[in-house]
Amino acid sequence: MTDERPAELSPVQDAVPAQVPVGNRLAARGLTLAYEDRTVVEDLDLEVPDGKVTVIVGPNACGKSTLLRALGRLLKPRRGAVLLDGAELAHVPTRRIAQVIGLLPQTPMPPEGITVADLVSRGRQPHQKWWRQWSDSDEAAVAHAMERTGTTDLAERPVDELSGGQRQRVWIAMALAQDTDLLLLDEPTTYLDIAHQVEVLDLVRQLNRERSRTVVAVLHDLNQAARYADHLIAMRAGRVVAQGPPADTVTADLVQEVFGLASVVVPDPVTGGPLVVPGPPGVRRNTPRGLPAHRKPIK
Amino acid sequence: MTSVDEPRASLSVRPAGHAVVRAGRGSSFLVHRRALAVAVVLAVLLAAAVVVSLCVGEAFVPPAEVVRVLLGLPSPDELVVGTLRLPRLVTGLLVGAAFGLSGALIQTMARNALASPDVIGVTHGAGAATVAAMTFGLTSYAVLPYVSVVGGLLAALLVYLLAWRGGLSASRFVLVGIGISVALGSLTRLLVTKGDYLVAQQAKVWLTGSLNGRGYDQAAPLATVLLLLVPFLLWAARAQRSAAFDEDTATALGIRLGRVRLGLSVLGVVLASAATGAAGPVDFVALLAPQIARRLTRTPQTPLVCSALTGALIVVVADVLARKLLSPLELPVGVFTALVGAPCLMWLIVRTRGNRSGGTA
Repeated sequence: MTDERPAELSPVQDAVPAQVPVGNRLAARGLTLAYEDRTVVEDLDLEVPDGKVTVIVGPNACGKSTLLRALGRLLKPRRGAVLLDGAELAHVPTRRIAQVIGLLPQTPMPPEGITVADLVSRGRQPHQKWWRQWSDSDEAAVAHAMERTGTTDLAERPVDELSGGQRQRVWIAMALAQDTDLLLLDEPTTYLDIAHQVEVLDLVRQLNRERSRTVVAVLHDLNQAARYADHLIAMRAGRVVAQGPPADTVTADLVQEVFGLASVVVPDPVTGGPLVVPGPPGVRRNTPRGLPAHRKPIK
Repeated sequence: MTSVDEPRASLSVRPAGHAVVRAGRGSSFLVHRRALAVAVVLAVLLAAAVVVSLCVGEAFVPPAEVVRVLLGLPSPDELVVGTLRLPRLVTGLLVGAAFGLSGALIQTMARNALASPDVIGVTHGAGAATVAAMTFGLTSYAVLPYVSVVGGLLAALLVYLLAWRGGLSASRFVLVGIGISVALGSLTRLLVTKGDYLVAQQAKVWLTGSLNGRGYDQAAPLATVLLLLVPFLLWAARAQRSAAFDEDTATALGIRLGRVRLGLSVLGVVLASAATGAAGPVDFVALLAPQIARRLTRTPQTPLVCSALTGALIVVVADVLARKLLSPLELPVGVFTALVGAPCLMWLIVRTRGNRSGGTA
């Protein structure tokens, strides 16, 4: 079966302001991001649609995590700005941001010997004062976060002893206890097996649906991105190549352009959304050289 | 995912082991139950050690009389206990508490159990400055404490300047601190070796840390520093929680980790400098006390009050040994602090081996 949809890319890369929704809470303007002397993202404009799950995809080193870090003020822009409610992120006190944006870094390190309940309760930090260390709303938010993530039964366990999947749920619980309208997740499914990946992503989507939280996640897996995103952003070499609803965005041409991979896009048998299957159309077997036809031998 | 709607009141979601104390006007405080119990026990032990310390000496004074003196009641032993022994004991208490606090703060800041004022230049800076002053004929106990405080602070400042790189990185701070400490330690040894015999002798005692001849002249400035730092220590007790995170997670939670680290370390540096000024660099108290306290309380962060109490207890007990063990010969208290503290820590480490709550050394 071949891709029957016309292979059109959403023409966003030339930044047509009329096409992107205005008035979103989180946006980037003319963003240039760099480490030391290496520029990763240059002059990027971006709107994060409110109340939707936005997923950023792209090949390794395309700048997707870097972009997410900048959206979460973990990385200072070289030029341009990230805007939160119209205010430049760099000028908003970090604690104030933490009351609006929850953020799960790629590899967070738990404090040594900390228990699950303790770690989740640290998510309340931005709402606490020296003289208000544990209010009823703290307790309610932590209880809710742990229940939502199914970590209530782990409350007394040390985080060091948990499995990868449990640990990831605990970190999400912490970000959830922060009780923010926006949630940024940097590869939340890394190191998880497929069942736990689905579990975490289902949870993320539920969190979005329930309180129309705005979620931005970086994902490696294009099919998962297509399945869970309301709004998909495909990046390559620091630029946004295409964005929009996955059904309109994910095409064989896009996969070719972004990942350099020949593929067939078929309807997902479960969701009906786009499903990327690697391999050029019509080829069902490996080539005589033993490599799948969509891969060229490395010289 | 559990999607249970029934209330889970039986399972507490509070930070483990904490009780919530509400104090009106919407204020609430988290108190670690075990830490509170440990603090009470340590305080009782410390009170006992204080009484014992005041009893023993060249002449034994019965505990009843010691308590009378402490309560301000008339007693025939007022001169021996109140005038001769108490000032020295008070200095020891304050020095131990200050070193205990300093070690706790610096270990928390560095996220490293091996960090202490010894490895960030303070004690060696104080040592080098004091020995240099002695070498140049400055031997008055009225001036030397200030020389040592200035030396300690200068060395720490140098460490900050060299370690600063748009912020304070814990590992850089410790590495630079060790480098500076080693250099200053060598300088001190050079001065001791080159100096004349009497100076060398005096320097050696000072460098070990001694309470001999110390009294209210040394205790008063240290007590002042401790009192002035109380508001900052109250901040630190809470800020310590934040210092346990990595940079990204801390930022995500709205914590300015760089500032927290700077604040904690400056507090630690000031405390260690002031304590070193009062009694010299009393060995290992800053290193051992927080580790012992943390193992006793089993809190995720180093408990400040218990570290102070443990530090004071170590110094007071070590001072009793220093005075009595080879009586009438008096040894510097620094000889015994490690001897008292190290076995306690070893015992706690061995006992909690394989036990998750013990943390790692």
